[in-house]
This record gives sequence, structure tokens and C-alpha cells, in this order.
Amino acid sequence: MMDLLELFGEHPGWYFVAATLVPLLSFVLILSASALWCAARPFRDTPAGAALFNFFGGEERGRTPAYVATGAIALAFVLSLVGFLRFTIQQSEFETQIQQVQRDLYELRVKAKAAQGQDKEKWEEEIEAKENELENKEKMWESARSYAWQGHFDWLRIRPGSLRDPDRGTVLQLGYKIDSLSALMFVMVTFVASLIHLFSIGYMSEELQPEVEDHQVHTRYGLLVRRGRFGRFFMFLSLFCFSMLNLVLADNLFQVFLSWELVGICSYLLIGFYFERQSASNAANKAFITNRIGDAGFILGLLILWTNLGTFHFDELFQRLRAPLRDSHGTLQLAGRFVRGDLDPARAADGSWSLKYSPDGAQVVLFPLPQDRPEHYHGVGPDRDDRVDVFEAPKKGQHGSMPYWLLVAAGLGIFLGCVGKSAQFPLHVWLPDAMEGPTPVSALIHAATMVAAGVYLVGRCYPLFTYEALLVIAYTGGITLFIAATIAVVMTDIKKVLAYSTVSQLGYMMLALGVGGWVAGLFHLLTHAFFKALLFLCSGSVIYGCHHEQDMLKMGGLYPKMKITALTMLIGVLAIAGIPLFTGWYSKDAILAQALGFVYVHPQHLLLFLLPLGTAGLTAFYMSRLWLMTFTGKPRDEHVYEHAHESPGTMTMPLVVLAVCSVGIAWGWPIYDAQASWLEQNVHHAQHHAVLADFGNIDYTVDQEHGEYWVVAKRAEENERLYAYYNHHLAGNLALGLVVIGMVFAGLIYWKGVLDPAEAQEQFPGLHAFLMDKWRFDWLYSVVVVRPALVVGSWLAWFDLHVIDGVLHGVAYLSVLLSKWDGLFDNSVIDGLVNLVGNAIYSAGARLRNVQTGFLRSYVLFLVLAAAGIFMVLAYFVRMAAAG
Amino acid sequence: MTLTVGLTHFLLLGALLFVCGAVCMASKRNAIGILMGVELVLNAATINFVAFARYNPIFQVEGQIFALFVIVLAAAEAAIALAIVLNFYNNHLSVDVDTAEELKG
Repeated sequence: MMDLLELFGEHPGWYFVAATLVPLLSFVLILSASALWCAARPFRDTPAGAALFNFFGGEERGRTPAYVATGAIALAFVLSLVGFLRFTIQQSEFETQIQQVQRDLYELRVKAKAAQGQDKEKWEEEIEAKENELENKEKMWESARSYAWQGHFDWLRIRPGSLRDPDRGTVLQLGYKIDSLSALMFVMVTFVASLIHLFSIGYMSEELQPEVEDHQVHTRYGLLVRRGRFGRFFMFLSLFCFSMLNLVLADNLFQVFLSWELVGICSYLLIGFYFERQSASNAANKAFITNRIGDAGFILGLLILWTNLGTFHFDELFQRLRAPLRDSHGTLQLAGRFVRGDLDPARAADGSWSLKYSPDGAQVVLFPLPQDRPEHYHGVGPDRDDRVDVFEAPKKGQHGSMPYWLLVAAGLGIFLGCVGKSAQFPLHVWLPDAMEGPTPVSALIHAATMVAAGVYLVGRCYPLFTYEALLVIAYTGGITLFIAATIAVVMTDIKKVLAYSTVSQLGYMMLALGVGGWVAGLFHLLTHAFFKALLFLCSGSVIYGCHHEQDMLKMGGLYPKMKITALTMLIGVLAIAGIPLFTGWYSKDAILAQALGFVYVHPQHLLLFLLPLGTAGLTAFYMSRLWLMTFTGKPRDEHVYEHAHESPGTMTMPLVVLAVCSVGIAWGWPIYDAQASWLEQNVHHAQHHAVLADFGNIDYTVDQEHGEYWVVAKRAEENERLYAYYNHHLAGNLALGLVVIGMVFAGLIYWKGVLDPAEAQEQFPGLHAFLMDKWRFDWLYSVVVVRPALVVGSWLAWFDLHVIDGVLHGVAYLSVLLSKWDGLFDNSVIDGLVNLVGNAIYSAGARLRNVQTGFLRSYVLFLVLAAAGIFMVLAYFVRMAAAG
Repeated sequence: MTLTVGLTHFLLLGALLFVCGAVCMASKRNAIGILMGVELVLNAATINFVAFARYNPIFQVEGQIFALFVIVLAAAEAAIALAIVLNFYNNHLSVDVDTAEELKG
């Protein structure tokens, strides 16, 4: 016990490890209880069997699984919260000190720039001292962090020497690494998941009955009646939470991949929860198969990294790929960036080459890890030491290299995995179909777990992505957010609208990550989790209250019937639309500001700003449409309206909590300052310096004084903040204008009825049909992939049936024929010979037995006669011999 | 004319004895009688050995030793044969060898 307390005291990262393992424990508990229940059921007539059977719930199993799972995730939330607080306090202590030193250093630099002659030297000495102090402070924080908040153990040893270098690629690890991003993710995931668990207890209560009638499955004998699956639902939820938390916890890509697949299988199980329904089973398959396509890319990326770098550990990957922040000369031009160059065949030695720096070389330098570097370490750069020896199989402390295109491919591969998981174009098709699962699952998938995993991983792996890969990410996000928003405008299924809005918001996050808005993207991931969970649970509450009616064309005027649901949903709508002071406002404006900054520097990518800006208005429009169609106006379907009712307390309570969070979770001081959000600042701590190195210098065209490559991460950060501040206001105001227009438009159409949506449909029938068909992606995939696959499959089946089976049948017929001939030969010739010999011996024996008379006297007679005969013959021969 | 007894006489005696034994074996139905015939045959052989030992210096020792062997052999044979006969009698209540025909082919 004391050991455990000491462990948590010394290594507070274990709070998060424990938070991860608690849902797993709950899963195992529920699973084993169910297994015992199943095992005991056939023996429930015997006393022992009945005791066991009743102990695990008997015929009517109660809510125990729900309480176990909810308790587990709530405990995980408490653990995460404690861990998060401890981390934040420790981090802010160090950060304050480091910032103080940085501020001093900055002032010193400003003074040194102004000074002349001897003064200048004096200032430079002081600057150097301050730089050393800064370095020491940062090292202290690093070591404190790696001691308390990181850890790993070897999980699997691979035969050494399986790669070119026997020291590399020999061990797979499991571990944990906590920074402020993963700590925040932990709190967010466990909090949202706890509320979703709580909501599910009410929502899934139908499954408590021993016999459930599924109204959507018709069998020959009428509606399908099946056993309730209450426990199974919560078991899967627990496994889902464990997988997601493990993914966030991971300190290496391999562990991420494990959890990644676990998340995939959980989504498959939960989307296909009502697997007797054809649509649900199809949707589960679609989600799983679509994700497999992405995972194929993920595996390729992993293999490239493993082959070339021999490790999956995030820190080691980044330290080897990105130039170190400091070398023995202090500042580096390429600090935190990829360093590219060309191998010089003229200066090659055995097992090594000389690599010459060039900004667009074909190779990228792999740096030695900091702990292996020599004391006096030179970096590689354009002005000095532009050559470095790279080794084919670098030992500790040596440089290596890998082809740049492979690194691009690895980044794109990993991103493809994220495209699948986060439902980005062109693999977004599974997410709307995933609405077939129970609504709390939709909330969990959309808000806290599965789709968040993709964005989270892009953020985590940011330093692996090259410029080309980032551009692909940005455009993928841009296309996705626009397509999804346009489809959401015409959807009438309340859950489908939300599904497409999720796809669209994920597009925002990806776009932000691609244009260097690392903080903005992940900030939006966190805020989005709250308001999207709220929106989904609200829609769940509406669906529950309307007795499983999901079509908005049958709703309307529900506000008086379900006030709590309507008001909380309104908050969610305002938050996602980006109305000031709601959470969505802070994060979406940050993304737009980042995109605007990017477009300033790269005007050719103007689309990357216009798409999200326009879509901000679209988002406001379709979300307002959703709320207005559901809750205001006249009831469109009297039957639904008559029976509608507010949901019970266990379901509305999470709504209220999430609504409060959707308003205030991102507030900072002052509240009205869009950039003062505490959440954003907290995410900022986790930002890898590579982000600043890649994008922090968006002002380098302005800063002519120092030349184009004057990039120091800290300095760049200040510039970035300046520009972001300017951008933020412009982008934010533009977006707000569009949002207001969108909402007014929605109000005019769906509330005041000034415009009739049916007229618009008639005016643009082609466009409406196109959008209703979801941009015909399903059709496209069906034509391009599914049907050709089926056609090829039918060809193969024909080939199988006729050619392969034909050959097999022919061979079989021939062997039968051959066997017949062989049998004939066997029976007549071989058996005949054998029988002949046998018969001959038998008949000879039958004759000879007459000799054996059984009379002793006749034997003696024969004996004597024979002896006499022999003697006579002998005598004859002897005489002949004597004579002749 | 004096009749000197030579090797031929001994051999003739042995042959006579052998024929007697053989005829005895071939004609008797009584198992004990057959045994007696066997003894006669063996003794005929012994006479031959001893005669050769007496008249041929090459076989001086060997002939004597073979004679001893045959006597020992005859004793052993008689013991075993009598045991067989006794058992035979226990099973058939007779020593008529013609009744021993169960194993004939």
C-alpha cells in the first residue's frame, strides 16, 4: 500500500496509467461475469449452478454492469483530474521561471543590438550567461518531466540483427508520456465518457428486459425477439474508453497502433450493436473496412520509420529527424527543422558518405540522440559545417540519413491512417453510416474517442510531417470541411446532420494542423468534444422522447415538450456556430486566424482560408436549421408530437453539465479576449518546437535585417503571437459576420417562414439531389471500387467453379479410372500368383501328410532303411574309389 | 586252428547287436521294449568305439572316451525316456506307442 502511494508520489504519471487501466479492469470484470453467467446457465437446475447463476444476475440481469462501467470511468476521471492538476502546477512553476529568463534574455538582446564597440562585447558575454541559465533551467524541467511523467518497459524483444544495424529495431515498448496535451485529453475523454455512460444508463434501459422486440427486424415469425444486451453495451463502452485512453497515454507509435486497432474493433462492435438489422451490420462493416484502408497506410508509415530509424518512441523519432535546438555554437539556422542534403559519391568511405547540405536535397539527415552526442557538437547548416559524415548503419553519436521521399511517404502513410479514423475526405463515408449504432455510441465516437484519435495522432506525430505532407493534410481538411457542411445543409435525419457536422469540424482541425495551427487544431478538438457530445446526447434525448423517431420532417414545435433538451441543445448550436463567449468561438477563430496567417505568406493557397471561412457561415446555417426544425414552428407530425416527452433525470443531467462546459470550458481572463483562453494556453505548453520552426517564421520575408533564414524558435514565437493577434481579429470578425448571416437566413426560412425551403429545392433540383446523395461518394465508390470488386469476384468465382474445380474433378475422375485398372491387375495377376503358390504348397502338404503315420515303428523302419540305404551308397562309392 | 578274435568280429557283433536293437525298436508296441531296443543300438555303437580303441592306436583314447560318453548319454536318455513313458502312461493308461497318434499329419 505504502509502495503504491510512493509510486504515485514519485511518478505521478501513474495517475494516468491507472486511469487507463481502470476501464480495462471494468471490461474484464463484466466479461468474466458474463462468461460465468453463461457457463452456469445450463446448470441452473442444480443448486450450485443456480447459486452461481443467480449471483451473476439470474434471468433478469440488472444494471450492475452499467454501475461497474460508469464507476470505472468516473474513477478514471478523478484520477485524470488529479494527475492533470499535479502536472499543471508543476509545469507552471517551471514555465514561470523559464519565461522570466527568456524575457531577460530578450531585453539583453535588444540592448546589445543598440550598443556599439566595447559595450557590445560586454552585452554579448551577459547574453551568453543568460543563455546558459536558460539552458540549465530547461534541462532541469526536462529531467523532472522525464522522471515523473514518463516511463516505459520492454514489451517484446525482437531477434537482434534483423535490420542492417544490430543495435536498432530490437525492442517494442509499452510506456506513458504525459504532456499538457495528453493530460487535457485524458480529462476531456474521461469526463465526456463519464457523462455518456451516465446518459446510457437511461437511454439503454430497454435492453434491460430479458426479451427485447426489435421493431426494425422482420423475420418469418414476425418481429425479432432477442435477449436484452445491457451488459454487453457497457462492456464495449469500457473497452472503448480503455483503448482511447491507452492511445493518448502512449509514448510510442507502436502502442498507438495497438490502441488504434482496439478502437477500430470497438467501433465495429458498437456500430453493429443491433447487428440483426441489415443496415447496422453493413454500417459496421463499412466503418471497419474503410478504416482498414487507412490502417494499411499507417502500417506502411510505421514500417518505413522502423526500417530507417529502428524506434517507435516519439521523442527519439523527433530528436533524430529534427535538427537539435542547440549545438556547440549556440544558435542554429535550421533548429527544429528537417535538414536535407545530397550524398557525395566522390567522398564516400566504407559504410559512410559525406552529405552536403542543400535546401532541397534528396536525403534527410538523422541526428544522433542528445544523450549520445559528443560534448562539442556541431550541427549541419548552410553557412558552416555544411558537410557531415553520414553512416549507413550509424552507431551511437553518429549521423545517419534516409531518403527524403521515404519520409514524405511515411508522413502521408500515417496521415492516411488518421484520414480513415477521423473520417476525412476521401474516407469520410463511414462516419454518417455509423449513426446506426445507439446514440450514446455516436456521441462517444464523435466527441471523445475514435474520430479524436486521428486528429490527436496527427498532432502527436507533427514533427514527422514534411512540408509536402502538411500541405496534403491542410487540403484534405479544407475539402472535407466544405463537402461535409454542404451535405449537412440538406440532411433531414437529425443524427446525420450532426454526423456531417462532425466530419466538417474534424476537417477544420486537420486544416489547422496542416497550416501550422497546431494549438488551434487541438484546442478545437477539445472544445468540440464537449459541444459535440452535448449535441449528440441532446439528439439522443429528442429521439428517446419521440420514441425513436429521427426524421426532422416529423418533428417541429417540440420546445414546450422538452425544454431542458431544447435549451441545452441551443447552447450546443451556439457553441458550434462560433457565437462569441461560447467555446467554439475561441477555437474556431484561432483556426481561421492561423489559416489567414498561412495565406498571407503563401497567397497561392488562398483556398485554405476561403473554405473554412465560408463554411463557418454554412455551419451556423445548418445548425440553426436543425434546432429550428426540431423545436420551433408547428408540429409536422401530430402522432410524434402527441407522444413526445422529456427524458428522465439521468439523461438530462449530463446534458446540463455538458452545456455548462460548452459555454465556459475555454474561458480565460478577460473572457471577451478570444486569445486568452486558458485551455488554449495549456495546449500551447505541449507544442513541439518543430511547429515553430516550420511555421513560426511566417514573418521572415519582413525581417530582412537578419536574412531569410534567421530562425530562432523563441524569437519566432513572439512574432507568431504578434501576427496571430492581428489575424485573429480580422478572421474572427469576418467569420462572425458570416455566422450571423447564416443564422439570420436559417431563422427567416425555418422560423419565420419567409422563404420556403421546398421552393429552393424546386429551383435547384440537380444541386439538391446531388447534396442529398452526399456528393455521390457512395455511388462513386460503388462504381469504382465495390462493383468492379464484385465483377472481378464473380470472374474469379467462375474461374474457380469451372477451371479449378474442373481440373480437380478431371484429376479425381482419372484417379478413379486408374484405380479400377489397378484393382483388376491386383486381383488377377498379383493375387493369382500368391494364391497359386499357396495352393501348390497346400496340396503338397496334403500329400506329404500321409507319410506321417503316427506309428513309431514305421518311423524306426524308415530310419533303419534310410541308414542302410546311405551305407550301401557310401559302400558303393568307397569301392569305386578303391577300384579306380 | 585257433580262432583269433579280431576287429572284424567285434564289428560283426556290433552290427548284429544294432540290427537286434533296430528290429526290437521297429517291432515292439510296448514303449519299454522300444527303450530296450534303443539301449541295444547304443551299446552296439559302444562296442564299435571300444573295438576301434583296442585295434587302432590312433583312436586309443578317443574310442574309450566316446564309449564313456555314450554310456552317460544312454543313462540320461533312459531317464528322460522313462519320464516320458511315465507321463504317457498317466495320460493314456497304456504304454502302447500306437496310441500316440494325435499329432500325426
